[in-house]
Amino acid sequence: MAPSRLTIIVGMALVSYALRVIPQLLLTGWGFPPAWDRYLRYLAYGLVASIVSTTLFLSGARFDVAAAPRRTIALAIAVAVAVMTRNAAAGMLIGTIAALLLSWMAA
Amino acid sequence: MFFSKSFRQGVKAAVPVWIAFIPSSFALGMAAKGYGLRWEEIVLMSALVYAGPAQYAVVEPLAAGKPALQILIATVLMNLRFLPMSATMAPYFRGVKRTRLLWASHFISASSFVLPYVRFQKEEKEAASTGTAAQTGDDNLSFFLGIGMTAFCVWVAGTAVGYWAALSMPPGFEEVLKFILPAYFACILAIDLRERMAAAVCILCFVAAVPAALWNTDWGWMITAIAIATVVWRIEEWRRPA
Repeated sequence: MAPSRLTIIVGMALVSYALRVIPQLLLTGWGFPPAWDRYLRYLAYGLVASIVSTTLFLSGARFDVAAAPRRTIALAIAVAVAVMTRNAAAGMLIGTIAALLLSWMAA
Repeated sequence: MFFSKSFRQGVKAAVPVWIAFIPSSFALGMAAKGYGLRWEEIVLMSALVYAGPAQYAVVEPLAAGKPALQILIATVLMNLRFLPMSATMAPYFRGVKRTRLLWASHFISASSFVLPYVRFQKEEKEAASTGTAAQTGDDNLSFFLGIGMTAFCVWVAGTAVGYWAALSMPPGFEEVLKFILPAYFACILAIDLRERMAAAVCILCFVAAVPAALWNTDWGWMITAIAIATVVWRIEEWRRPA
């Protein structure tokens, strides 16, 4: 039987807590090698970029051909605004408005 | 502790973190509704997991009934960065009772790490140069909790409010629910990226994730992201002067 969503959330909580608390109890003063620090950062960046792509362009196990071009444009607008203003919320807001307008135009 | 000077200083210092948390937690709540999670599930997740990128990573797989192992591995990989953060902070909490450390650890997040860490380092340097006593571990922990606990409350409340906002979204706005969270994380990445190799990891993973997910729905994108991050990291280490 597959675990329920709540069980999975509790499992997520436990592993997240372990990663926070173990260094506090066992690794006091332990220097993390800069190379490993870089690797963990790259890993997080790579996973986030992958999820951005899959959540935007996939519907279930299918590539959302109709929505992909307009979401790409809206995402490009969001990122451009964020980079220009150095404000992620502003980028998200303008990009979301663009996505909405483009989806209405395509409908 | 909650009325100590250090805690109050932490609360004041936390205001920029709250401002950053409001849109992201709100977007998470909205996306959770869009993907079909229940209100109590996403609010519980925000309270128990309290890790934006990891929560974002699992909203869709959790709602779609993907394997629990995949969700847990994604959570671990996204949250591995807590290890160096927590280890770096630990020396500043010397002398604090273990029970306090046990519950305070839950409030470690990327946003609540930077501010206290910078302050602790500055205070340590000042104490060394002036010959005065550095702050105690308890003072430091109170300052950290002033930031961490209040930011945590904003995060959980923002998620709940975002979900409610999505409930009252009129028909025709489904695109907003689908777009808002990935857009926010893409914007954060774009602002955050300063190194060329990190940018290369992001672009390669962004491009490769969809074909990889089509090849294997459950694991494709994750294996590809790990492979790309590892290869780019190895190339960078190889090129870096010893």
